[in-house]
Amino acid sequence: MNDLFTAIAAEAREGWEASRASGREQVNVCLDTSSLARGGAETLAALQEAVAAKGLNVDIQTTGSWGFCWLEPTVSVRSAAGTRTVLYHSVTPDRVEEFVQATLVEAGEFPELALGVVEGAPSDAIGALEDHPFMQGQIRRLMANCGQIDPENIDHYLANGGYEGFVKSLDMEPEAIIELMLESGLGGRGGAGFPAGRKWDFLRNATAEPRYLVCNADEGDPGAWVNRILMEGDPHLIIEGMLIAAMATNAIEGYIYIRHEYPLAIERMNVAVEQARERGLLGEDVLGSGKTFDLVVFVGAGSYVCGEETGLINSIDGYRGMPRIRPPFPAQAGLWNLPTNVNNVETYANAPLVLRHGAEWWSGVSDDEAKGTKMFTISGAVNQPGCVEIPFGLSVRDLLEKYGGGTPGGVPLKGYQPGGPLSGVLSAEEAELPLTLAPFRDRGLFLGSGGIVFFDESTSVVDLCTYFLGFAEDESCGRCTTCFQGTQRAVEILRRIGNGGGRDSDLDKFEDLIQTMTWSNCLHGSFAMTTVKLALRYFRDEFETLIREKRDPTRSLPGMITYEITSPGDPALAEAAAICPTEAIVDAGSRFEIVDELCIRCGACAEVAPSAVTVRDRFV
Amino acid sequence: MAAEPTTRELRELVAEYEFERGHLLPALIEIQERYGYVSPAAIEVLARQMRTTPALVYGAVSFYADFRTEPPPEREIAWCSGPACRLRGGDRIREALQHTLGLPLDSQSEDGAYGLRLGQCNGTCSEAPQVWVDGEVVGDLTVAGAVAIARDVKGDA
Repeated sequence: MNDLFTAIAAEAREGWEASRASGREQVNVCLDTSSLARGGAETLAALQEAVAAKGLNVDIQTTGSWGFCWLEPTVSVRSAAGTRTVLYHSVTPDRVEEFVQATLVEAGEFPELALGVVEGAPSDAIGALEDHPFMQGQIRRLMANCGQIDPENIDHYLANGGYEGFVKSLDMEPEAIIELMLESGLGGRGGAGFPAGRKWDFLRNATAEPRYLVCNADEGDPGAWVNRILMEGDPHLIIEGMLIAAMATNAIEGYIYIRHEYPLAIERMNVAVEQARERGLLGEDVLGSGKTFDLVVFVGAGSYVCGEETGLINSIDGYRGMPRIRPPFPAQAGLWNLPTNVNNVETYANAPLVLRHGAEWWSGVSDDEAKGTKMFTISGAVNQPGCVEIPFGLSVRDLLEKYGGGTPGGVPLKGYQPGGPLSGVLSAEEAELPLTLAPFRDRGLFLGSGGIVFFDESTSVVDLCTYFLGFAEDESCGRCTTCFQGTQRAVEILRRIGNGGGRDSDLDKFEDLIQTMTWSNCLHGSFAMTTVKLALRYFRDEFETLIREKRDPTRSLPGMITYEITSPGDPALAEAAAICPTEAIVDAGSRFEIVDELCIRCGACAEVAPSAVTVRDRFV
Repeated sequence: MAAEPTTRELRELVAEYEFERGHLLPALIEIQERYGYVSPAAIEVLARQMRTTPALVYGAVSFYADFRTEPPPEREIAWCSGPACRLRGGDRIREALQHTLGLPLDSQSEDGAYGLRLGQCNGTCSEAPQVWVDGEVVGDLTVAGAVAIARDVKGDA
């Protein structure tokens, strides 16, 4: 064992134990981007104020997310004796006063908002957190520290086994580290699932120096925030993973490329890198080993194709983030045309777990062909948008019902998107598929990086296609005509269909585009039509109804509906007229009327006067 | 936000940046953080510092959605373009915002008083549909609520 490290880790553990044996209550407030959006910062301020006003001797600190995103802000309270910790949800600023009274002043509990007991014995009023329906079946390995430690305090990470995997790798030959990674079966978590060990081996075998590592934290798939949860909750896990990769490949510098939409993740990664440097875990002569590895947190500026590894490399190099033509691959010519390895956040984050606990433990979590655990975020038509970590293999339906809490209002599920705008859509009948790589690959798409978006029967599949193709069009880098013109053409046709101008020949045109666009240089172009391809496979009748009958079965496409006032005397109509952004509702003396030419189908009137305004088919 | 940056200020601001070390994006981000936007003068100065052409610098500025080429508006609504928002009426909210403000996405009023921007999903999907008003999340939005916000931002509430 490395002596320098032994000393650092012992000191961290001592501090951690001392703080836990302080005899004071410990209040942990989750502050991640989701919690901030729900008033987490105000809750923290209100807690601090209440504690100060009452002169309580309490430790308050911040943590990352437990994954209960729809119930933020979450707050845990650890008893002064250190025997019991309870996690609470929805501790909004207006509840802080009574919350403080119950949990701190009276040193009791607050069952109304309790999620569960984290440590200590469950009671009749509050069950164990692990028995909470949302937690059952989850295996928290990557997220083990999320919600439990202060992400801006390296000692918390060190006190919980942090950097031990890296220290093991310091005494190993690069070949042995790679052998261990291959043995674990860790596949790339960005979507492709390519064995991380093999990728590292490409870099190890590269002929040029110096070599670089890149961590792809440009989590651009809308509806995916698993990387954000990790960076905001446990940033050192990613640094440790990159350090291990550096030992396996002899890389001397790494870049963590984070999208600018994640300011808190950027801040926390920067703090973590700085603290790791202070402890001698990054920089020259890491832990006295004679090896050099340092990290740069690199901030993106808004471009989806920078999530493609060569686009990302061009972006750091100082060019437009346009994906390169391969070969050469990054392992030969990456950053500054020098050997480079690019992995996703979650891929690197798994490496410390493999090193600490061994390949057998790591891969033994399930019998699934895809090894290890995977983080998923659940959003769209669900009751519980949140983040879970589970072994591969759970069915999509179970993910929705168990963790997503089902669809709102009991509207039947229509389908889902398994992982990003290029991954396509599947219908509800495919919800029995297990969440692992093979079944999706067999259907011509990929599982993606973990953002699963569900949609119910109120959603028009043509609207979904228009949305995803519009996204692909906006984000096309402009290199390949197949991609930037193909997406544009697809959007034009989809919009025309959505406005009642669909033609029988349109479906053939889609087939042409599907074929042509596969010849694009990168995945962005070659997978952009996946949504349409699969929508035609699963929802062809909906396209046909729109094209032939000029009718939208979901009555949601703006171009296919009109709004009509069916109770002209309804008193709510005055308010509807006032809210209409285009003044399309006019007062014709004794009655209100909608001027159809002015109406933009935004539906504001139907919201304020629901019993007076009716949606009708425009062409039927 | 400061006034129109001078060439001298800009030169000082970017003096430590080197193209060979991957500093183009960090330099542009620093310029925008300081002044709120990347002016034509800034493009010229940065090109000289990076020993490259203004065309390459401008190429990057126009490629990345986050860079602005005019000073930001005093008040701004960013509309979330993510799928969870879309599934809950986000596109109708966009229509209503555009018509209320009289602006397309990614533009601002001539006097710079208010603007409308396309925002990317950052995973606060529990708030869908949402917008950011001057950087703060406003979630669980209705179309009517969005119209009210837009009128307030426009100053004719």
